[in-house]
Amino acid sequence: MRKSLFVIMLVLTLTSVLALAASWQPLALNKAMFQSEGKYGGTLTLRLSSEPESFNYYGTLSGAAYAIDDFLFSPLVQLDPITKQIEPALAKSWKVSEDGKEVTFYLRHVKWSDGVPFTADDVVFTMNYVLMNPNALGNEVARFTINGKPIVWKKVDDYTVKAILPSSYGAFFMVLTPALIMPKHSLAQYLPAFNPKVKDPSAFNKAWGVDTDPSKIPSLGPCILEKYVTGQKVILKRNPDFWETDPWGNKLPYVDKVVFLIVKNPETALAMFESGQFDWISISPGDFPYLKQKELNGAPFKVYNAKSMNPTPSPIHIAFNFDVKDPDLHALFNNLSFREAMEYAVDRDRIVNEVYNTLASPRVGPVLPGTYWYDPKVEKIARKFNLKAANGILDSLGLKMGPDGIRRFPDGKKVEFALLTRSNSPIYSGISMILQEDLKKVGIKVDIQPLSVSIAYQKALASNYEVALLAFGDQPDPQLRKAIWQPGNPLYYSHLSTLNKKEHKPVFSNMYWWEKVIWNDFEKGQSTMDQKVRKEYYDEWQEVYETMLPFIFICKGNSLMAAKKDLGNFFKNKDGIIVHSALTVYFK
Amino acid sequence: MFKTFSYIVRRLLIMIPMMFAISIICFIVVKLEPGSYISQYMDNPRVSVETVIQLKKTLGLDKPAVVQYFMWLKEVLKGDFGYSFAYQISVSKLIWDRTGWTLVVSLFSMLFTWVIAIPLGIYSALHQYEVGDYIATVLGYIGLSIPDFFFAVLLMYLMLQSGNTSIGGLFSQQFIGAPWSMAKFINMLQHIWLPTVVIGTSGIAGLMRVMRNNMLDVLNSPMIVSLRAAGLEEKSITWKHAVKNAINPMITIAGMSLPALFSGTIIVSIILNIPTMGPFFYNALLNHDEYLVMAFLLMLGLLLQIGNLIADILLAIVDPRIRYS
Repeated sequence: MRKSLFVIMLVLTLTSVLALAASWQPLALNKAMFQSEGKYGGTLTLRLSSEPESFNYYGTLSGAAYAIDDFLFSPLVQLDPITKQIEPALAKSWKVSEDGKEVTFYLRHVKWSDGVPFTADDVVFTMNYVLMNPNALGNEVARFTINGKPIVWKKVDDYTVKAILPSSYGAFFMVLTPALIMPKHSLAQYLPAFNPKVKDPSAFNKAWGVDTDPSKIPSLGPCILEKYVTGQKVILKRNPDFWETDPWGNKLPYVDKVVFLIVKNPETALAMFESGQFDWISISPGDFPYLKQKELNGAPFKVYNAKSMNPTPSPIHIAFNFDVKDPDLHALFNNLSFREAMEYAVDRDRIVNEVYNTLASPRVGPVLPGTYWYDPKVEKIARKFNLKAANGILDSLGLKMGPDGIRRFPDGKKVEFALLTRSNSPIYSGISMILQEDLKKVGIKVDIQPLSVSIAYQKALASNYEVALLAFGDQPDPQLRKAIWQPGNPLYYSHLSTLNKKEHKPVFSNMYWWEKVIWNDFEKGQSTMDQKVRKEYYDEWQEVYETMLPFIFICKGNSLMAAKKDLGNFFKNKDGIIVHSALTVYFK
Repeated sequence: MFKTFSYIVRRLLIMIPMMFAISIICFIVVKLEPGSYISQYMDNPRVSVETVIQLKKTLGLDKPAVVQYFMWLKEVLKGDFGYSFAYQISVSKLIWDRTGWTLVVSLFSMLFTWVIAIPLGIYSALHQYEVGDYIATVLGYIGLSIPDFFFAVLLMYLMLQSGNTSIGGLFSQQFIGAPWSMAKFINMLQHIWLPTVVIGTSGIAGLMRVMRNNMLDVLNSPMIVSLRAAGLEEKSITWKHAVKNAINPMITIAGMSLPALFSGTIIVSIILNIPTMGPFFYNALLNHDEYLVMAFLLMLGLLLQIGNLIADILLAIVDPRIRYS
């Protein structure tokens, strides 16, 4: 009798231990993110530069909403912030089939913050119905479609899902990193496919608006939404069930709360940081010397200057519109020698010194030097600042110098163009002015045309400009920048006639031979999963870009930050990267 | 009494076609602004072109402007002023959330302006061309000529230098969204004086000069001469008769400043990070969030009309000579 009771108790204990193990499957973060084991407690206060327009990650285009949702949800796989390698997240492991067309993910046993278990249903729901929903404002249809065919997800069992790819797709894991998984039990009611009462196909975007009760938003990330005070602040509290730990086995994050204060004006935000109201903040090159001085005078904060981190930035560049209407300019911009002359006339060192207070790397193109995808051969092709060479080429093109110091086309017209750029930015206006000055020295008149951000991009992407000075966002993989740098895409705005806008297809007859080479590189680069082969294609792309100059890249600003001295695990590592994360910092 | 009532009803009825006219003008102005809501997403790496095209259809931006106007009108008649393009929740809710603090800040600064300007104006009039008159005038004009944004930045800088930490916003971080308490109220007072002073000072000179002129007009009128001749005390002449008569035009000014309660704090609110409607409206304008902008403009138009009506009614109460028919 006793013995059987003992056995029953043993069995019970064992099963509960097993159940515990199954419900708690932690993931230890890379040790390189830590200086030391942290202490629990405290409130981390950070800046949000605009107010969230929603909490619905796939139903909004609001950057502030994305920043908050990154704390509330998790993807299947994530990028290690330091090595930039893919590491497990909600998927604890995965298997790729030999032909690269099937990827099976094994899911972590974790729970949503409202107690509902996370299962394969959530993944299939998010992937097939939310992220691929063309009516969702923040959908990811383009990134999860290969040659016009979507990636399809299937549930194998509760903790196994399979992605079926139409063809092998090199950037597959990379596009998964921003794809946060949403709770089916809470969002399915907004989709017509799950709720016959919903008739409006875009009703999904109305889910989780900023007036939603925070307890209705279950979380699977490091934090839980506690409260939103309209237009002022967002309070997130620590998710006690979050599955990431430090290397010593302590659950993360260390801080009890993360508070975002909404401060739109950068000067005000800086003043608030100085008065101790923020724990860390991004700063501009203009503020750097002043803050460094304060730090040296004993202020309770430290400023950090580090090279930009994302391997494939889209730095500030000049684009000469190949499709410009004016026939003289059209012939000129389509002439490689002219574009070469223009690169000789760009004084990058002066721009870095004067516009960025030396806090930038000159000559950074679409791939950051020192990263995996970078092709050092481009340095040999690049042309250094040399006004004599520029003048020589312009002379050989038959553009004679006029009496007023401005060159003339053979028909007597002045060589003059408008430079479209962004207004309200000391960086863009500074660079435009230096370009204007230097080009004047080689006899070309530049009229600067500063317009507000949205209008500047609208004009550029409608091919309604002569020359533009703009930039796009940073990403960790060339595939994610395909829509910009591959000819025949809507953002390849220096030569938009390579795109048939209506059918959204490339027009090869309008492409130069070298544009076809680039087009091919990107197509091939996305279809293979072998990273070495991919790199060869992307190397070729970089070399062709540097040779043929569809864009002239100028420089990339450093990443500059200031942080309170009493923050632990906020540091610059030996590779010059600022290591910091709301998960790992703690108050000393 | 009945006449006044029917006058008010008539004025209210006239407002309806007036609001239609205002809405049409506002809609045209909104449409004249270059760019559109969707163009800002062209540079957003997360937004595909397909999404932008879909969005354009969903929002009805691909239809002719006249059709869009009626689409909007339908939403207004439903009562919620349509859904904000960006927030996907109803415009009336969005605006309502921000009304409270907007009114608090505006009322504080208006009170500040009036409490200082009216006595100063009376003082200047009574001491015309004396040193006090000149000093008051110069101070008033300094307040008027300092740009708000500069004054705000200057005060913020001075506070930072003096080690004060109540910079930006209406509360310190821990009090935002917390339940009301004495500590929270004190914390608010520590913050709110800054916007109050910055916004308030710019209005002092104008009001003060108007009050001064009105007072002088009345003081030099035959009525005051005859009162003096009748042997009334100077104090009673000034306060009972002169000020009472001089205050009439101020009521009209007060009525007309009703819309300024909502729109008068844009720049200062952006700089001092105050959660009022100003920056919200400004952002909606920049983002081309059309329904939101339209609702704001209409609200300002309506407030102007209501302000005028209230001023007219108040005038009739204050001044028995004025009668409406």
